[in-house]
Amino acid sequence: MFNLLILCALFINAYSLETVNKQIVNKNIERSIDLSSQLVKISATLTVENTGKESASNILILLEPKTKSNVSYISVKNSLKEELKLTEVEVQDHKSKQFYKVELSQSLQGGRTIVLTLEIVLTKSLIPYPSSISQKDRQLVRYFGSHYFYSPYNTLKQKTTVNLGSRNIESYTKLKPVSQLESTIVYGQYANVQPFSIDPMVIHYENNSPFLTVTSLKRLIEISHWGSIAIEENIDILHSGAKLKGPFSRYDYQRDVGSSHHSVKSYKTVLPAAAHSIYYRDSNGNISTSQVRVRKDWIELELRPRFPLFGGWRTSYTLGYSVPSYQYLFKTDKNQYLLHMRLLDHIFDDMQVDLLETKIVLPVGVSNVQLTTPYEVERLPDSLTYKYLDKKGRLVISLRKTNLVEHHIQDFEVVYEWPSSLLFHEPISLTFALYVLFLVIIIYVRLDFSLHEAKSEHVKTQ
Amino acid sequence: MIDTENMVRYISPVNPNVFPHLTFVLLGIGIFFTAWFFVYEVTSTKLTRDLKKELLLSLVASVFSGFGIMFLLLSVGIYV
Amino acid sequence: MWKLNSKGGFTSLIIFTVLALAWIAGFASRLFAVIRFESIIHEFDPWFNYRATAYMVEHGFYNFLNWFDDRAWYPLGRIVGGTVYPGLMITSGSIHYILHLLNINVHIRDVCVFLAPIFSGLTAISTYLLTKELWSTGAGLFAACFIAIVPGYISRSVAGSYDNEGIAIFALQFTYYLWVKSVKSGSIFWSCMTALSYFYMVSAWGGYVFIINLIPLHVFVLILMGRYSNRLFISYTTFYILGLLLSMQIPFVGFQPIRTSEHMAASGVFALIVAVAALKYCQSVLTKSEFKTFFYFGVLAVASIVFLAVVVLTYAGYIAPWSGRFYSLWDVSYAKIHIPIIASVSEHQPTTWFSFFFDLHVLVPTFPAGLWYCIKNINDERVFVVLYALSAVYFAGVMVRLMLTLTPVVCILSGVAFSTLLDFYLRDNDTPRPNESDDEEEKAKTGGRRLYDKAGRVPKMKHEQVREPDGIGSNLRSFVLVVLVLLLMLFSVHCTWITSNAYSSPSVVLASYGNDGTRQILDDFREAYYWLWQNTQDDARIMSWWDYGYQIAGMANRTTLVDNNTWNNSHIALVGKAMSSNESAAYKIMTSLDVDYVLVIFGGVIGYSGDDINKFLWMVRIAEGEHPQEIRESDYFTEQGEFRVDAQGSPTLLNCLMYKLSYYRFGELRLDYRNPPGFDRTRNTIIGNKDFSLTYLEEAYTTEHWLVRIYRVKKPHEFNRPRIPVSSRIIKSQHFTSKKNSKRRKGTLKNKALVVKGKRPLKQS
Repeated sequence: MFNLLILCALFINAYSLETVNKQIVNKNIERSIDLSSQLVKISATLTVENTGKESASNILILLEPKTKSNVSYISVKNSLKEELKLTEVEVQDHKSKQFYKVELSQSLQGGRTIVLTLEIVLTKSLIPYPSSISQKDRQLVRYFGSHYFYSPYNTLKQKTTVNLGSRNIESYTKLKPVSQLESTIVYGQYANVQPFSIDPMVIHYENNSPFLTVTSLKRLIEISHWGSIAIEENIDILHSGAKLKGPFSRYDYQRDVGSSHHSVKSYKTVLPAAAHSIYYRDSNGNISTSQVRVRKDWIELELRPRFPLFGGWRTSYTLGYSVPSYQYLFKTDKNQYLLHMRLLDHIFDDMQVDLLETKIVLPVGVSNVQLTTPYEVERLPDSLTYKYLDKKGRLVISLRKTNLVEHHIQDFEVVYEWPSSLLFHEPISLTFALYVLFLVIIIYVRLDFSLHEAKSEHVKTQ
Repeated sequence: MIDTENMVRYISPVNPNVFPHLTFVLLGIGIFFTAWFFVYEVTSTKLTRDLKKELLLSLVASVFSGFGIMFLLLSVGIYV
Repeated sequence: MWKLNSKGGFTSLIIFTVLALAWIAGFASRLFAVIRFESIIHEFDPWFNYRATAYMVEHGFYNFLNWFDDRAWYPLGRIVGGTVYPGLMITSGSIHYILHLLNINVHIRDVCVFLAPIFSGLTAISTYLLTKELWSTGAGLFAACFIAIVPGYISRSVAGSYDNEGIAIFALQFTYYLWVKSVKSGSIFWSCMTALSYFYMVSAWGGYVFIINLIPLHVFVLILMGRYSNRLFISYTTFYILGLLLSMQIPFVGFQPIRTSEHMAASGVFALIVAVAALKYCQSVLTKSEFKTFFYFGVLAVASIVFLAVVVLTYAGYIAPWSGRFYSLWDVSYAKIHIPIIASVSEHQPTTWFSFFFDLHVLVPTFPAGLWYCIKNINDERVFVVLYALSAVYFAGVMVRLMLTLTPVVCILSGVAFSTLLDFYLRDNDTPRPNESDDEEEKAKTGGRRLYDKAGRVPKMKHEQVREPDGIGSNLRSFVLVVLVLLLMLFSVHCTWITSNAYSSPSVVLASYGNDGTRQILDDFREAYYWLWQNTQDDARIMSWWDYGYQIAGMANRTTLVDNNTWNNSHIALVGKAMSSNESAAYKIMTSLDVDYVLVIFGGVIGYSGDDINKFLWMVRIAEGEHPQEIRESDYFTEQGEFRVDAQGSPTLLNCLMYKLSYYRFGELRLDYRNPPGFDRTRNTIIGNKDFSLTYLEEAYTTEHWLVRIYRVKKPHEFNRPRIPVSSRIIKSQHFTSKKNSKRRKGTLKNKALVVKGKRPLKQS
């Protein structure tokens, strides 16, 4: 009986391993790789045809080998711009390869075609080469990819356009037909590419866009039912481009630097439109080099770190602001509230965040807390924190995630129950404390400390 | 995600623009009663002291001062 | 509700309100720097106090007392627990602790920044108490209001100036109040309180020496004046013994109270008062003539024994003579010749008349008036304040820094003068007055007069009192009142203006104002320190002049070589020698000291006059004190004896390390179109040595306005490769012939040792 169960489990397991449906064929693939910033953004339009008779309910997507740890964001959309569900799977006979299974909204009938849009964002895939440069040199990076779109299906036609953002290309691998026009390289129509075929592509070019990595981002959201939500972010930033070797000359820096230099002088952060009381400081005090510009739908904060960031240099700062609670806090039922806020906020364009820790501090006395996140995050155990004059602590929800990019700026939701009478527990405790003080005075006035009536007079008149 | 379009937004029970004015009024009354209590304590002797009056005065003073201090904290920006 | 006999209550309400307003005024007028810039620790010394407080908060009190700081004075280290006055750190640490118990999460930096303004209010209250004991309530209120805003005290207690004086003046005033109270009452309770307050003062500031010399002086003068009494005996003996024991609990003070000359006066007076008490007792037992001879003998014997004992012990070395810092108060030129470090501090220069007026304004002329009133109406406690005033005036004349100890007594005596004046001119007649505060003053004054031991005077004063009101017309009275009120208003305007302009700059952040009033903040110091923190390795060692040591340790969190504590003159001289020598000699010193980075302050781009080139001569002098063979001050001047950095400057100066580090690549920089490149705005001249390069250092970071320049010292392995001429360079050939053939398969190892069992292996070459 037991053996039968094990056999069944193995059978089910084997059955749950996917197989590659050989009837599906990529009719046309148009891939565009954007290498103009520090991130690698791959966007591909797949025209997939089901040449068989059976309908297929899902399609397999394959990642290039050794890129799994660099993949920060992956999404597949159908022609109606709806996002399709992606799950990681293992495929028989190809255990070492990373597959994603795309569930189609409607099954693909035999003989029909469907158009899918695939978007992948890779971080840390542009390697600076040479890895150390002096202040005057240009920053050159290398990208390792593949000329062919790595797919488990046969591809009839495919074309890749690589956008480099700069005209200075040192070298690039050539697989005919290939053409280069200013800052774009087109790897022309390749016909009839076999499944699982890969051809290494190396592009070595100049990239002066800011190569900043946020090594650690700690985001703290505090809710107060008196009408304000306070947000504070502690950010550690590192310049992850080519390291600076040799001296830093302020004279050359002040004289030469144009807008496209590998060092980073300032960057723009976008804050929510109703943000006020913005502060920007570090452990040594306030940093005065910042500019706030109010735009129509958001507030743009131009931040300048205390010193320009060259390769290998790091800095850290704290940025905080307050927003009124009616923007993000909703009342659902009698005592139930819903908080709808961003898990990660914009730091600079094309950002990459290594580690994000978000903490949400709820008011005193909440119960029945539920959390929904837009994507998978690691939830750390809840903790308690004490703010001004608190006796019972406030519940803190902690979330953590690694390797995030701009596409992860999405909302999460927290639902909790909270009796509104608890709003007055602060003033009541203050009143009580003051009353105790008055009572002490009343008692003190009634105490008598003199030793002996006559003696005290005697000493005084000496 | 839950649709938030049709939900009621949460607004604070007291309008934040009113915080400074509330602070002045409440703290002013609280300080007045505290001063009264203080003068009463200093001028009364063992015989003339009235416990009920003291307790009542201090209760009123502490209530107003407590609420006044809380609104002071709120108007400064420390949202407790 | 308000009965008629609540006048006393009304009076106490007024006193309470005035003191509360004085506290608020004192607190508010110290906040200029916080409002203009931010809540940050100022200057240099407070950074060490802040760092020590942060350490104490983080690691606990006992770890702080036992702290050996290895990130200062590399490679010597500094025993912090034994070389610091812990009162300041303990005060802010306890406030921080109490606030955290209530879950008010104030950062320790904010506690430190606002500690001095809060204690200024407490100082005002203790000054009020002291003056009330000395004269009257009205004078007390005046004195409290004066000391709340007077610039002489504000200069060392603005928000952000986290230094010992902020709490020490409060402890000083409170100790004096308790001492006066204990002399007046003669109760052991008050003397014990005095000793406890003295203990707090000893933990707070090195100026406690002033208390332990002034109080014995007071007792001595009282004995000389014939005002000995049992009250005096009780208070002084209790205070002396308890105070001595408590003061020795502070590790820094240790056994000094029984070993150094500065404390000998207290012991001497203690012995004297015990002798006098014994003699008085004998007087009550013996007859008059017996007593006379006995008395003279006794006094002579005791005085000579005590004096001989002190002299013998001093010569024998058990008692240390006056230390340099205190000796220079008596012999003013001593420091300049023998201890250049003390002489180089700007606060130790003699005081000018200008700074008296600057710091005290109208209190300067009213202070002698109050002093005269106290002398005229002398009693036990007014002797004390007269002695305090005279000694404080002398010391304030010697050193600018000691203006701070003069300020409280000036406020007290001016309060007395104003109060007497106003009382005189506000009086109408003898009937009950509608003005309550006057009444209170009058009561207190008559009460004070009862303490006079010249019994005959009392009726005469009453008689004069009745005649006075007819002598002053109402016109004269109102005129005098208006003038006094005007003077007081001018005083407060002056104080606020001085505070705002002169004493409210954080000196870590500089600000310059453009033509249209816009403010440009020069945050170069913090920029450089933050760069050091983030971009150097954690154990990097920074060499700079001792001025910036505390700031580097506090803001950049790196190990320094010398800092503001200046306890080791030779180490500072070594750094000075490195800065004054040429690059190769300096490099030897820097490698021997394991230096990684060098930091210099250069003000030539913005015209900042406190930079290292302007301090350079002091570096040379201090270095010359220890290494007179290698460094001579005259080498750095031109033949005419001028200190110049342009082309006529002396070649030693133009090639020394400090010059090169300040002006590296400055010769190419053109500041504006009017001046050629290399124009130094601080010295207003074009520099002499422009195009040079550095061999042993490379520029690591320079801030935006060139204010702070950091250089990295190159390691020996970056140079010590000898240069091989091209002809003798051996290039490894590509061909490799193997020694293996078909017979012999084994290859050979170069320098393979031949191993024979039992014998040591010989190296085969």
